[in-house]
Amino acid sequence: MHDSPRDRRHLVVPLLVAVGLLVLLLLPLIIPSFYLFLSTRILVFGLFATAFNVVFGYAGMPSLGHAAFFGAGAYVVGLASTRTELPFPVVLLLALLVGTALGVVFGLMNLRVRGIYLLLLTLALAQAVFGLAFTQVSITGGDNGIFGIAREGLVPVGLPYFYWFVLGIVGVSLALMWQFMRSPVGMAITGLRESESRLAATGYRVGMYRVWAFAVSGAFAALAGMLDAYLVGSVSPANLAFLLSAEVVVMAILGGARYFFGPFLGAALILGLEFYVSTFTTRWTIVLGALYIVTALFMSDGVLGRIAHWRQRSGQRAGTATGPGPDGSATSSGGPVPDGVPALPAGAALPSMSGSGPAEPTPSRSTASARTTASARTTEPRP
Amino acid sequence: MLWLSNVLNGLAFGSLLFLVASGLTITFGLMRTINLAHGGFYLVGGYLAFDLFTRTNDYWLSLVLAVVVTAVLGMIVQRFLLHRLINQELPQIILTVGVALILGDLLLAQYGGNPVSPPAPAGLEGSIQLTDTLVFPKFRLFLIGLALALAAVIMAFLRFSSVGAKVRSAVDDQEIARTIGIRVPLMFLLVFGTGTALAAFAGVWGGAMTSLSPDTGFDILLLALVVVVVGGLGSVPGALIAAFAVGLLDQFGRVLFPEWAMFTIYAPVALLLAFRPRGLLGKVETR
Repeated sequence: MHDSPRDRRHLVVPLLVAVGLLVLLLLPLIIPSFYLFLSTRILVFGLFATAFNVVFGYAGMPSLGHAAFFGAGAYVVGLASTRTELPFPVVLLLALLVGTALGVVFGLMNLRVRGIYLLLLTLALAQAVFGLAFTQVSITGGDNGIFGIAREGLVPVGLPYFYWFVLGIVGVSLALMWQFMRSPVGMAITGLRESESRLAATGYRVGMYRVWAFAVSGAFAALAGMLDAYLVGSVSPANLAFLLSAEVVVMAILGGARYFFGPFLGAALILGLEFYVSTFTTRWTIVLGALYIVTALFMSDGVLGRIAHWRQRSGQRAGTATGPGPDGSATSSGGPVPDGVPALPAGAALPSMSGSGPAEPTPSRSTASARTTASARTTEPRP
Repeated sequence: MLWLSNVLNGLAFGSLLFLVASGLTITFGLMRTINLAHGGFYLVGGYLAFDLFTRTNDYWLSLVLAVVVTAVLGMIVQRFLLHRLINQELPQIILTVGVALILGDLLLAQYGGNPVSPPAPAGLEGSIQLTDTLVFPKFRLFLIGLALALAAVIMAFLRFSSVGAKVRSAVDDQEIARTIGIRVPLMFLLVFGTGTALAAFAGVWGGAMTSLSPDTGFDILLLALVVVVVGGLGSVPGALIAAFAVGLLDQFGRVLFPEWAMFTIYAPVALLLAFRPRGLLGKVETR
């Protein structure tokens, strides 16, 4: 979406997608079932992180409460499968509905807050949901959660079938989100990140798009939670906990929050590393903490951002691009970006925190100048 | 007299929350950093005091050493990690969560997962007869007084000392503070050290009240965060009021609607943030 020239993409991308899909489809036949469990988990959390990124990377709202949606979806499965006989399509619809409704609540509550207050408000909302799951013992099982969620009737018994099932749902969800981000509503949501004031000045109802972002993100995050509950077979308040909200933020940033597949990559990296590290030490949490620190200090534009940066630099060194500059990662070619406007530095790739981003040494005074830099690259190329 | 005992218990818990939140709120006030490793430093302080007390059997030595060592640890984190991220709130949050995870897991590795109780000073054991029917633990009563005293000390320090004046000027306008020769990075280091020292101090006292285990760090952190937010980010008197309010709300929530205990704290906080983001006594954001 953001990177590499268009003409080359026309050939390379579909090919890569086709090969990737084929590999993913054949995966259960290639790898042992232990790795298959990991792969399924990566798919689930990849979906979660991608859904989170609608609010975070696209709309530029740093939410610290996304575990609420994930956990809500998981609890829908937990309650539905242990207390009712509802068929799967109904459970799926319920999870989507609960996620969307919760997303609308989050969106409406967050209409007036920015930056650090948005972080804190989403955190408080998620904690309220966590508190419900924790204390309503008669319904949710409290701290113990709900056990014995069966996948019977869903797919034939066996992890490969469940893997294909998850792959299907995740694939369709990603395709839907990809398409959504290219719809007029999705473009407006991206506009929220680039310059909310400018979006408002052009007549968009900014608040509505904030709610939209949370609703869509919440729906797909709940879907991921639903899949996780089926995969693990149990639900507990840990599915709603603050640490999960923090982890999904790190997944998105580590992979590259500016890119559609960045968060998915981040999820794969963290879960893969967890799997690898856990084979020789029980102190995974320390490694995870170190990873958070490294991400915060050095990976603010993510792995994909780094790669784009390196490619841009090697392109410069080869001398292929003289003149107005190589096709930077942030300014896609063909976009309505005027010549001479530089791509934002790589360090600015994080969704800016309401005027206190790294690029601004003076948070209180220089908002106007910062806004002009940001608004110069407001739009993405429309397909 | 049951309600009076509930009120006192609520106030005591609120006092504990204030002890934790005070460090958090002054760190935020100057540095605009929500230090999510605060709960980790709280644990480190409590565990260190516990460890030192079992070795030396000297309460005051354990308390002072625990507080000083934790403050030094906090300053190391600030100097080598956090100071690179000035004004970048989200990376700061991720970094401090990472630090908290590491601290919590190191404590788990060292001391195991069972709860431990840091020492309490001599003379505060047992209970005191307040009225004919009400018996209340001395320790908790003392904690309320301690919170009030600490609030007074911090406010007086910020209000009347020259360092406090520099801190306040840096809060109000960092650039002007720099231009008139206030060494803001040094202030940052000192304030962060003070914040972690307060966290450790709270860990020793709070641990003695509720006992500690490596996973309680985030619980207490989130409650302290609520206090800081409700009081208004950076406001010490606001934090005091909010701490007592949250303590009472928590106590009565537990007694009256146990099924809704956490919800009765976080849902009102979310509503308050949605409609009045600056909290009770917070400054108006001028951005």
